Amino acid sequence: MASRIESLNHADIGAKNNQWGKFWRAAIPYIFISPFFVGFVGLQLLPISFSAFLSFAEWSGLNQIQIVGIKNFVTMVNDARFWNALRVTFTITVVCTILGTAGSLALAILIEQVRGWLSPILRAIFFLPSVTSVVVIAYVWKQLYNADFGFINAVITQFGLPAQQWLTNPRLALPSLIIMLIWAGLGWDALIITAGLRSIPDDLYDAARVDGASGWAEFRYITLPLLRPTLTFVLVTSVIYLWGLFAQPQLLTGGGPIRGTQTVALYLYDVGFRYHEFGYASAIAITLSIIMFVSSYINFRLVRTEVEY
Amino acid sequence: MERRRKIIRNGIAGFLILISLLYLLPYIWMIAMSLKPDGEIFSTSILPQNPSFIQYERLFYGYQFGDQTLRINFPAYAKNTSIITLISLVLVLFTDALAAYAFAKFNFRGKNILFWIMIGTMMLPIYATLIPSFWLFSKLKLVNTYQALILPGVIDAYGIFLLKQYMETVPSEILDAATVDGAGAFRRFWAIMVPLSRPALGTLAVFRFLFVWNDYLWPLVIIREERMYTLTLGIANMEMRQGMIVHGSQMAASFLATIPVVVLVLLMQRQFLRGLTVGAFKA
Repeated sequence: MASRIESLNHADIGAKNNQWGKFWRAAIPYIFISPFFVGFVGLQLLPISFSAFLSFAEWSGLNQIQIVGIKNFVTMVNDARFWNALRVTFTITVVCTILGTAGSLALAILIEQVRGWLSPILRAIFFLPSVTSVVVIAYVWKQLYNADFGFINAVITQFGLPAQQWLTNPRLALPSLIIMLIWAGLGWDALIITAGLRSIPDDLYDAARVDGASGWAEFRYITLPLLRPTLTFVLVTSVIYLWGLFAQPQLLTGGGPIRGTQTVALYLYDVGFRYHEFGYASAIAITLSIIMFVSSYINFRLVRTEVEY
Repeated sequence: MERRRKIIRNGIAGFLILISLLYLLPYIWMIAMSLKPDGEIFSTSILPQNPSFIQYERLFYGYQFGDQTLRINFPAYAKNTSIITLISLVLVLFTDALAAYAFAKFNFRGKNILFWIMIGTMMLPIYATLIPSFWLFSKLKLVNTYQALILPGVIDAYGIFLLKQYMETVPSEILDAATVDGAGAFRRFWAIMVPLSRPALGTLAVFRFLFVWNDYLWPLVIIREERMYTLTLGIANMEMRQGMIVHGSQMAASFLATIPVVVLVLLMQRQFLRGLTVGAFKA
């Protein structure tokens, strides 16, 4: 529409001028999107291509790049530390996604029941961790978990239970990390689910109530099916986020004890920036990207197919 | 029936208040620790007995060890973070709005493909580009610079998507009228589209502010000198000062770094919620 009026407007200008103007007008949208695409090519596409290339090479950043074929991937498959990191990340992803999504769904539904002045205050409190820096969150929790002066041990010893080494006991470190992650993520997901809940028309519930449906039936046959797109979104975003988990374990436990909380991203960072094995680190990075992509696709399909029963 | 409903409702409210205390506790701990003098840091009582601002003073004047002073350059961290946040906000809002305008109100060859490429970039994990990006910026001699901190964050497909959704709702008639009056494409963008998109720009500004202010991984990779530390890097590195009781000062720095984001989100609550809903229905 806009372009038609524009060409009418310029119809009386000379033919040569018109052609130049035509070219110019056609170029405008491309000029407008060019900053993004220049940045995309320079800072994402080329680096990723380089990463893919490096995954078939050996390079310390200083010496000559040496093409070594699939050697890095062979190393990776035989690398116990890589498998350990994969297992740790997988555990975190599965546990946090399931408990986190269920918890945020429950939280969202419960907060919707609260009326009046209390509800915005509760929402704000649960949302606080979502806007707080992960560095701040990790260090506060590190102090809460501290074996000597931490609050958690102070409370459990009050109840006569023995103090625990929350972050240095290999059996407790991973659960401690997971608890912190769920705590930090609940408010964000709950807010997104709340938006989904509010988009469900009230008359559906009214009709169900007239038919004498119980609260559980309402939830099972109205809320859950209609919330599916929202839940898909929450699942896919949290799976992507958790597969790439880096800062929280790095700051809380440093990946320890004995690599018990070392995620793939943390291992990749160590290989790349501490041991300067850029080729091997790139192979891990490419593998991690593929895992993220495949698992979010699987998630998408799982939630999708469930609709068609 | 009505009575029963009310009881259930009060029960739920009570339960949520209890849970919300669990959410406030780490923040209470943070503030309390930041007000404890060194002698009380390892005590198990949450509240400080003799509250003092010494931990805050140290952020600005450093630690005194006899005749030695160990500086924590907190003012520099705060300055760096403020500068990169401000500059990247301006850059991101401008480039995102320009691209969103093109996608929302122009027809051009390849528009659909380019749009989907753009959406696809949201799926790219930062880890796939981390090593080559570090190499690229060190080749360009940009390690330890503001440019290196700012540039990667300017590519923001999510923001373009968000603004495009909004700009599509602006009636084309307004733009056509301006065209008849002789306004060029950029004039229409700057004088009409930008002012009309102010709510969406506000939403995006909050999101970007949070992202840049709290970012940790990229600064960790690209910044090696203390004078260039951001707040997150500075707080993380306070831990490494050996032989010092940093727990209190670290919480003081954390508290100061958290105040701006909390205030911003409280002030811009409505814009923030709108942004989240747009995201949710994308899937």
